[in-house]
Amino acid sequence: MIEAMDLTKSYGGRPAVDRLSFRVRPGAVTGFLGPNGAGKSTTMRLILGLDAPTGGRVMINGRPYGALPAPLREVGALLDAKAVHSGRSAYHHLLWLARSNGLARRRVDEVLERVGLASVARKRTRGFSLGMGQRLGLAAALLGDPGILILDEPVNGLDTEGIRWIRTLLKGLAAEGRTVLLSSHLMSEMELTADHLIVIGRGRLLADTTMRDFIDRNSRAVTLVRTPDTARLRTALEERGALVHPHEAGAWLVSGLTAATIGKIATEQRIELHELAPRTSSLEEVYTQMTEAAVEYRASGEGSVPRIRAETMS
Amino acid sequence: MTTVATKDRVGFGNVLAAEWTKAWTVRSTMWTPMVMMVLITGFAVFVGATRSLQPDDTILGGSLTGAVTAQIAASVFGVLVVSGEFGSGTIRATFAATPRRGAVLAAKAVVVAVVMFTTALIGSVVAYQIGTEMLTGEGYASGDAFPAVLGIAVCCAAVGLLGLALGAVLRHSAAAITTMIGVLLLPSLFGPLFGDLQRWVAGASPMAALEKLTQTSDASPDTVGSLGAWPSLSLVCVYSATALVLTAWLVRRRDT
Repeated sequence: MIEAMDLTKSYGGRPAVDRLSFRVRPGAVTGFLGPNGAGKSTTMRLILGLDAPTGGRVMINGRPYGALPAPLREVGALLDAKAVHSGRSAYHHLLWLARSNGLARRRVDEVLERVGLASVARKRTRGFSLGMGQRLGLAAALLGDPGILILDEPVNGLDTEGIRWIRTLLKGLAAEGRTVLLSSHLMSEMELTADHLIVIGRGRLLADTTMRDFIDRNSRAVTLVRTPDTARLRTALEERGALVHPHEAGAWLVSGLTAATIGKIATEQRIELHELAPRTSSLEEVYTQMTEAAVEYRASGEGSVPRIRAETMS
Repeated sequence: MTTVATKDRVGFGNVLAAEWTKAWTVRSTMWTPMVMMVLITGFAVFVGATRSLQPDDTILGGSLTGAVTAQIAASVFGVLVVSGEFGSGTIRATFAATPRRGAVLAAKAVVVAVVMFTTALIGSVVAYQIGTEMLTGEGYASGDAFPAVLGIAVCCAAVGLLGLALGAVLRHSAAAITTMIGVLLLPSLFGPLFGDLQRWVAGASPMAALEKLTQTSDASPDTVGSLGAWPSLSLVCVYSATALVLTAWLVRRRDT
């Protein structure tokens, strides 16, 4: 269990994390979502005691991180796959970590085997691809067999097979009763992996709910229609207040009317329909809609030059 | 959940074991003590072969000409033990594994002190043996090797710790090494510019302590003051201890 209470972190007077309160519960994968600069990484560093909060606090199993007797046995974290001394081998990187928390040496071999790096364990990490770095970071997180895992963008740089492997791994870990906090920019992946969501924007909590509930509550009802008589149907629907947008391959997306109403209008007007399908929004659509207001790095105008705030921390 | 614990609470021994493992698993910190050894003994061979001593020099002073370069190597070792971690970001893994940052710094200090003391001691003894073999019977006084070699070893350890402190404060290898070399060399280079104060400026530097300990003819009271070898060494130890305490205070407060 991770519990944040009014957690606040300011850099030069500007809050990166602003009175954030949430709980990450065991037995589920909790997705941590937010646009770039929303405060996800800062929050994770605060949880791990790497940065000191300006206000509020965050507890791990009821204690501040710094008070854990053997941190790696309670919390495994992957913050930055590249944050490994490139001159040290994967094996030795894990070995010093194991020694720091009094973990048995065999754990190093076990986790290397588990993440599929056993064959390159003695190679210096300088030559590692981003995907291999992620696997090493995951091995480090799993080293102490912790009940809590905190993973910042773990699927970055992994191939399809690797992404699938992480998904299965994380779901398995949650099923064992562990707490898994996961951030990712890949919405489709997040939708498949996470059971619960914590969404932040500009350092503030936007949502803390189940995946299903988040999508249901924030979806707009949209119906996909396909007809050979586009012009008539469009006019008929727009007269009833619907919004009609062209979609791919000659289909149209209709919002503002239910599928039943659209069907009824088509029948009344004797318009032939080839397809009439209510669509549930994907996490990506819901998320994009919801965070638009909170987006900090919005492309400005036609030039699409990102307006990056000078004081934003990386 | 299965338990992989072999012990319940992480102690200083674990932190020390981790820091020790780190030091011998990257080339930069593994090679520095060896370079240091080569420098000390290499200079002894050079001085012995070329007889490049002043008439009033001791064999000890001549054969330990390389001690000054060994001291620079020691400071580089101290810097590298910590700055590489900041450069690569490994320091986050370190502080996540051991939230007691003071303990991390203390463990690094033990590693630096032990490795530098041992290397410098062995190097100095071997260098003195080489010098004695090559220079005995040439009319030079032999000098009092013991306990001077112990002092030289302590001085290298103390300078290594100064490097450690600077590396942790500056968090950048090149910046810390450059500053460290400046701290070591500038007092004796610019000392003469200070006139009568030269004895104080140059005399209070780690380099002066080393020159006094090796009993070289360079260590005249005019240039490095009349403070004895052992008080000078104590002064260097005070620098290092103060630097480490300030660094520990800073590292504990700073975000990583």
